[in-house]
Amino acid sequence: MSAPIDRHHDCDVLIIGSGAGGATTAATLAEAGHDVLVVEEGSWVPQGSVTPFSLEQMDCQYRSGGVTVALGLPSIAYTEGRCAGGGTEVNSGLYRRPPGDTVRRWRHEYGIVDFDDDTIESICDEVESALSVQTVPGEQTSASEILQRGADALGWQHDESPRWMTYPEGGNAADGRRQSMTETYLPRAIAAGARVLTEHRLDRLVMHGGRALRAELTSTLDGDRPVTISFRDVIVCGGAIQTPAALQRSGLRHRIGRTLAVHPTVKLAARFDSAVNTPDDVAVVQVKEFAPEISFGGSASHPGLVALALTDNWRDFGHAVTAWPELVIYYAAITSRGRGWVQAVPGVRDPVVTYRLTRRDRDLLGQGLARLALVMLEAGALEVYPSYRGAPLVRSRRDLAAMTASFAATKASVMTVHLCSTTPMGEDRRRCATDSFGKVHDTDNVYVNDAALLPDAPGVNPQASVMAVAIRNARRFADAKAG
Amino acid sequence: MSSPTTVPARIDPPDTTVITGAAGWLGTGLVSAFTDGAHERDGRLRLLVRDTTDATAIRAVAADASGRLDVVVGDVTDPGDVARLFAGVDGIVDVIHAAGVIHPGAVAEFDAVNHRGTTNVLDGAERAGIRRLVHVSSNSPFGTNPSRSDTFRNDEPYHPYLGYGDSKMLAELRVLDAVDRGLDAVMVRPPWFYGPHQPARQTTFFTLVRTGRFPVLGDGGQRRSMSYIDNLVQGIVLAELTPTEPGLAWWIADARPYTVSEIVETVGAALRDEGYDVRPNRFRLPDFAGTVAERIDRTLQRSGRYHQQFHVLGEMNKTIAVDVAAARRDLGYDPEIELYEGMRRSIRWCADQGITL
Repeated sequence: MSAPIDRHHDCDVLIIGSGAGGATTAATLAEAGHDVLVVEEGSWVPQGSVTPFSLEQMDCQYRSGGVTVALGLPSIAYTEGRCAGGGTEVNSGLYRRPPGDTVRRWRHEYGIVDFDDDTIESICDEVESALSVQTVPGEQTSASEILQRGADALGWQHDESPRWMTYPEGGNAADGRRQSMTETYLPRAIAAGARVLTEHRLDRLVMHGGRALRAELTSTLDGDRPVTISFRDVIVCGGAIQTPAALQRSGLRHRIGRTLAVHPTVKLAARFDSAVNTPDDVAVVQVKEFAPEISFGGSASHPGLVALALTDNWRDFGHAVTAWPELVIYYAAITSRGRGWVQAVPGVRDPVVTYRLTRRDRDLLGQGLARLALVMLEAGALEVYPSYRGAPLVRSRRDLAAMTASFAATKASVMTVHLCSTTPMGEDRRRCATDSFGKVHDTDNVYVNDAALLPDAPGVNPQASVMAVAIRNARRFADAKAG
Repeated sequence: MSSPTTVPARIDPPDTTVITGAAGWLGTGLVSAFTDGAHERDGRLRLLVRDTTDATAIRAVAADASGRLDVVVGDVTDPGDVARLFAGVDGIVDVIHAAGVIHPGAVAEFDAVNHRGTTNVLDGAERAGIRRLVHVSSNSPFGTNPSRSDTFRNDEPYHPYLGYGDSKMLAELRVLDAVDRGLDAVMVRPPWFYGPHQPARQTTFFTLVRTGRFPVLGDGGQRRSMSYIDNLVQGIVLAELTPTEPGLAWWIADARPYTVSEIVETVGAALRDEGYDVRPNRFRLPDFAGTVAERIDRTLQRSGRYHQQFHVLGEMNKTIAVDVAAARRDLGYDPEIELYEGMRRSIRWCADQGITL
């Protein structure tokens, strides 16, 4: 006897996921008159109801309580939002357009048609207006001033990353209100008639030949119950980990989940002679002297995260945790030449993720962390605590020699929040999983429209790239279906 | 700090210039520039050389200025010798500390000469009440760039490369200690340099290129900064005679880094244009040959031994690229000679000395 089907839904376009890709796709299609149903695995948590960067937020808005690990030497920890709005609800809100030469390189190397800078730039203009992207009108946080001061002392280039935030008239950095998807594109989609089902997890698409017939889901609203959804087209927007895993569970394989790209980061905590920690905000200044290969910025520095940053050498560093108001965490991020795999495993909910750093990547992480420590010393840090096993306490330039001598990427807490490129788009079928607009090769009605499409990690915060590509593709889809 | 358009102010050369390592490659270049070259100066030159052969050689280089030459035979590793070097100097005195060992017989020499020798020279200089000391450092305290497109900025974290790098880093730290005690000292950091007065190992380099046997690792796209000796001498003199904060340090190199392929091709072209018969370079080694050589070099150095070929090969697949912008800005440094012209001059010098390439 099979389990009774709890519920069934019908729609023209089913969108799996409601983050930067899914929400923009939903709004674009609903506003073009399509019958849109969005399913989201997490719940709807209004902005402002949970403290940003807190442990409570990790519990209710992230997958797996905050952190998942990609296997490899070293293993790389990553985070994924799991809530209505996805990563846009919980990230730092830093906005960077995809660099023009990145767009041109993607077009050229992956054979992406109709992918020109002007289109991307003009969509970015729209996104910036929809999300109120702007710089801080009032005072910066101490965490930002520290980066600025350190970089200035070294003559290193830095700038302020704009954010999708609104501020009260002349407001300071900490007064911003995040213009995430639940504040912007999701309400727009709903106003245009889109339906949103939260707490529905996609198990698989049932395929017949190149055609997806229906979706099988699990509703977690009230105990686990099976749900099916019929559709004309399905657009998967689950992010660079969940999207390829869902496609693999549905029997789709070609170039799917083979080319995970990330911006690996290493961290340090720096202690100053006064209270500088703003627990619910991050620095908006980024040091770009060595960009795109190496960038420095601020990390969330909630007391719990400060403790986490000190655990790599708790014996020597642990005492500093009580002084957490004087500590801030910073990262060095690199553009990696390594690649990873995402592999769905039957019977297990989360896919296995692996990532391999190249020698160049490991060297860049070491040099990046040392240069970041130098920025901290120049900014007046009393003590710097690098995040790797057996790291020395750094108080002066001469201590940096001990640090560079003992650093190895395999000892470091390498982590990433920028996950991309697991179903790259383009006409070059040897490299790409979808066509130039996100339709999975050799299928009739299965599309991807999220960070998984970006051919590689763009070297800057990727959300703007994700949104611009998603809106471009959704418009193309709407035009084709209207025609 | 001056803006890039203004030429920084200069002070006059001293009454006495003390030079350590005076008979070495760089030292000889300095002495000849001070006696009949581009940076001729009137005061006395007090030169430390290691033995009487070197003393004879440097006297020959400075034959026109023999009346103001004091040649002291001794070793920087011996505090007594260093005391004799500074004995009785008076008036305004500057020191150029150019003594150092790069390819030693045994690893222990690195520390003895480069580190403790520097300590001795700093002590001597402090006691003598000198005006300014210019310490000749290296790229080696900073290791190699983490990627081919990376370029070292003027300020970088220490990351010493093997025994030489350690000893040159410790020497820099001793200089900074002396600055903290009140000595006016600054540092120049030249990478791989080339030019007249070159030692035998550099002649080997020309011969390898001429016979098409120079080992290019991988695709030869690694970047290397190099410093033509006249550019380096200019940088040292400017560091000496430009008033700045003590304790500063500058990269001194040619205007831009070169790729290894470009270096081999340019040297080949320079040799051809000087009338040599040059065979096409066909000696390409896979990139990992450099990694293997580096491991052998590390292992040997751990056991106190030093092997020049493995060391040089181990470094050949690395990028060592530096940015000279700070020297331009602070010192008005203007590297006039580029690779092709510098190499032609070096080749001509070899020919003048009767050296067969």
